[in-house]
Amino acid sequence: MSLRILLAVAVMSALVTANQSGPEPQTPPSTERPAPRLETAPPALQVTPLVATQTPAPPQAALPPGALSPRNANYSIEVRLDPEAKTLRGRERIQWRNISAQPTSELQFHLYWNAWRDAESTWMRERRLAGTTRRPQADAWSAIDLSTIRVRGESGTWHDLSAHTRFIAPDDGNPRDRTVLSVPLREPATPGASLDIEIAWTSKIPRPFARTGYVGDYFFIAQWFPKLGVLEDRDWNTHQFHSATEFFSDFGVYDVAITLPRRFIVGASGRQLSRTDNSDATTTHRFRGEDIHDFAWVASPDFIVITRRFEHPRLPPVTIRLLLLPEHASQADRYFGAVEATLSRYGEWFGPYPYEQITIVDPAFQSESDGMEYPTFVTGRASWLAPGDVQRPENTTAHEVGHQWWYGMVATNEFEHAWMDEGFNTYATARVIDESFRPNHVEVRYFGGFAPWAFKDLPVSRIDNDRLEGYRLNAETDAAWIPTFTYWPGTARFISYNKTALWMHTLEKQVGWPTMQRIMSTYFERWKFKHPKPADFFDVVREVTGRGYVWYFDEVYRSSNTFDYGIQDFTSVRQDSPSEGAGLTGFTYRTTVVMRRYGEATFPVDVVTRFENGDTVKESWDGQDRRVVYTYERPEKAVSVQVDPERRLLLDVDYTNNSRTLAPRTGEASLKWALKWMAWLQDAMLTYAFFS
Amino acid sequence: MTFMLALPLALVVRGAIAAHLRDSLMAVRAADGANWDWWQEFSAQATGLGTTFTPSVIGVATTFDSVSSVFDGRVPIAPLAWALALYLAGWLFVSGGIIDRYARQRPTRTYGFFAACGTFFFRFLRLGALVGVVYWGLFTYVHPWLFGQVYETLTRDLSVERTAFAWRVALYAAFGLLVLFVNVLTDYAKARIVIEDRRSAVGALAAAWRFIRHHPGRVVGLYGLNTLTFIALVGVWALIAPGTGGGVTLWIGFAMTQLFVVTRLLIKLQFLASETALFQAALAHASYTAAPEPLWPDSAAAEAIARTTM
Repeated sequence: MSLRILLAVAVMSALVTANQSGPEPQTPPSTERPAPRLETAPPALQVTPLVATQTPAPPQAALPPGALSPRNANYSIEVRLDPEAKTLRGRERIQWRNISAQPTSELQFHLYWNAWRDAESTWMRERRLAGTTRRPQADAWSAIDLSTIRVRGESGTWHDLSAHTRFIAPDDGNPRDRTVLSVPLREPATPGASLDIEIAWTSKIPRPFARTGYVGDYFFIAQWFPKLGVLEDRDWNTHQFHSATEFFSDFGVYDVAITLPRRFIVGASGRQLSRTDNSDATTTHRFRGEDIHDFAWVASPDFIVITRRFEHPRLPPVTIRLLLLPEHASQADRYFGAVEATLSRYGEWFGPYPYEQITIVDPAFQSESDGMEYPTFVTGRASWLAPGDVQRPENTTAHEVGHQWWYGMVATNEFEHAWMDEGFNTYATARVIDESFRPNHVEVRYFGGFAPWAFKDLPVSRIDNDRLEGYRLNAETDAAWIPTFTYWPGTARFISYNKTALWMHTLEKQVGWPTMQRIMSTYFERWKFKHPKPADFFDVVREVTGRGYVWYFDEVYRSSNTFDYGIQDFTSVRQDSPSEGAGLTGFTYRTTVVMRRYGEATFPVDVVTRFENGDTVKESWDGQDRRVVYTYERPEKAVSVQVDPERRLLLDVDYTNNSRTLAPRTGEASLKWALKWMAWLQDAMLTYAFFS
Repeated sequence: MTFMLALPLALVVRGAIAAHLRDSLMAVRAADGANWDWWQEFSAQATGLGTTFTPSVIGVATTFDSVSSVFDGRVPIAPLAWALALYLAGWLFVSGGIIDRYARQRPTRTYGFFAACGTFFFRFLRLGALVGVVYWGLFTYVHPWLFGQVYETLTRDLSVERTAFAWRVALYAAFGLLVLFVNVLTDYAKARIVIEDRRSAVGALAAAWRFIRHHPGRVVGLYGLNTLTFIALVGVWALIAPGTGGGVTLWIGFAMTQLFVVTRLLIKLQFLASETALFQAALAHASYTAAPEPLWPDSAAAEAIARTTM
């Protein structure tokens, strides 16, 4: 076992350094010292997105007329679902344009469903590293097999390349991984050149893996078709399917015809153009999505379809199509409430949702398709028993709808920089939930997870929705700057989601929400329908704030150090020898505060000491040294001291040690909670003894 | 007894909480109400008993948690398991005295009570060992089979949570019936050991089974009525269970909680009392019951009876 772990660590380490098509070289950590907080008052709130023009806009490929994106990877797909055999049979025609600066002599395709072909794919190996050792059942596996692939280049001649394909493993060299297919071209595709590609394939649909598969009559079909990688200026960026990362692809137009038995109700990316009944008791549903970079669909005979119109005085209208399962029929308003709040808030804060429609899927039990985003098509999360004051369903739906901005439109490479969409979106979702959905309480589910109980005494805060709890235990597992697919599989999410949300919220507290909103809206406006990299976001921060915040990103992005400031010692002792600070009493108190930086990471913090007469003294500590001592000679005895009292540094992994009081109520608190715990144990004893 | 056994462990938890809170201002919020920020920090570093300090300690969740633990087959951590084992042993000890008291239907006083406890303790220990093996088999083999293999087979193609929950409830019922059957069997075996002065645990179990087999309606009906009483108590407790306030409300809450514990105990006693009464009413009679010798000073009637039989 230990050998396996050592090997895994070695493989992961090698991945970091040997990634063939990895990210751009990273700049070394800066040595810039922390800057003081912004002295100037933040500008007034802008409710419409701002487009900063201080730095040049990024290179922009010529957009087709009426297009929002380059539309360089356009798919026309015909697919037929056989629900009994659990198979797909499909044909696709891809019109692809080389928008990179380099010619290419090959094409690279993702064949994601081969990740679940056997236990030796990279996805499955990483899942085992993450601790999932249970082997899928025999009928759970999937596969995608190409029968033909033809390419027509500038010469106009079709070339059948089916016999020349080969699987490659650019990330880890795993010869058993078949999730990336390389297809050599007869004629290199020069920059600007267009290719027509025709592919026929068949697929075996898995039982649910990674939000894909079937359970009963419910089919959630994602990452299902042969899909081109992204040709960048350096090379193809086509990563293998990894267990802890998601996807990356170019924008285009998807025209998809789905044929399946008539009883099924279908939802998909884009909007439905037609529904044609065929003579063989099947129906063909045709969907079209423009300026999107992926296409997923769902089919079930049980859906209730509810449609509402989102209207907002300053944002374009959006049709919300909800595919709801009967057992959650009473929760329709909760879904719509979350979608509308997100469309509204994100639209006001970052920029409008530009598509005509968004489809929300209420996922089936055991489908594992809950909480996932695809362009204009997301899945929520509902439970049959869902207390109204526990906003978990709203949180999930808002998060996935929010991905339309951070992933859908600002299309970052989720293989390499997952934090740029997951983290940004977690941060923004927490803001939406905090503003729009209260009360929100902690929930514990009993009896196999079916029976919820909401704790009215435990409100969920915005920091909880930033996911501080998960980060606290995993703060040092990885530095965010390394490619996400090389994060340790079991803890990747804590860095991508939790840490990023926390440092974004911390940055918001540092610069103020109006400035933060300008950062995000500027970044969105500039990078929507493009593929930004981390430096592009940092550039926007520098541009909007006038500061680089390099020191900050060194800590939160380029290192895995933890933040932990605390009070090491706090005394306030009467000095009977009168000194300069003595008042009428003739004596003073010498108050000594010893501040300590327990973590490796640094951040400027305030230290506030409170005295018996209500006076407070605030010190601004740059947080650099390991410790600092403050001494006060005053006629009043000190009462308490607190570092970072306004809780600006949300990444502090131990906030309990941030304060100290000379009139502690620790005894009272510990007694109260110990008595409650004792009653819990007494209850348990009675329950167990009942059966004796 | 629950109080005495839980108290030392609660002191350990109190120490762990105090050590983490130190003299911080977080303690102020934790004293006045619930401080979820601090609670999560505490949980992140907690070990041993501290890991069991979860929101389930609040209000009626204590009962949900303990009943759910039993039905979901969760294994308590070692210190709790030891505490539970000691409590079960203590409960076995006093059970003899309790049933003896109910069987006599008159005060037995301290001496009589503990004499009966001592008389039946080792018989009950043998019975407990037998029943423990049965419970061990149920929780080690039957529970994982029902809620693993059977549940997964039943729900493998289910896409409706409500149906899956119905299956789970059905399995809870099936498993619960097994557990309750063992429980009822044990209760009546105890009653027969005391009332009939039986020494063999196996014989008592067989006799209990014969009694249940011959009076199924009355046994099940009585058990159901008692169970309804327990459900009613939990329902009331869900409405009035104290929150997380500090100061005076802390002590009021503590008193209410102890009252709930006592009431739960009374309901268990109600099970034993009513089952003993049912057995005596249905089967026991003067020549059949090995009634314990009346002891001086007992009632005048007992004294008179003793004189006439000399």
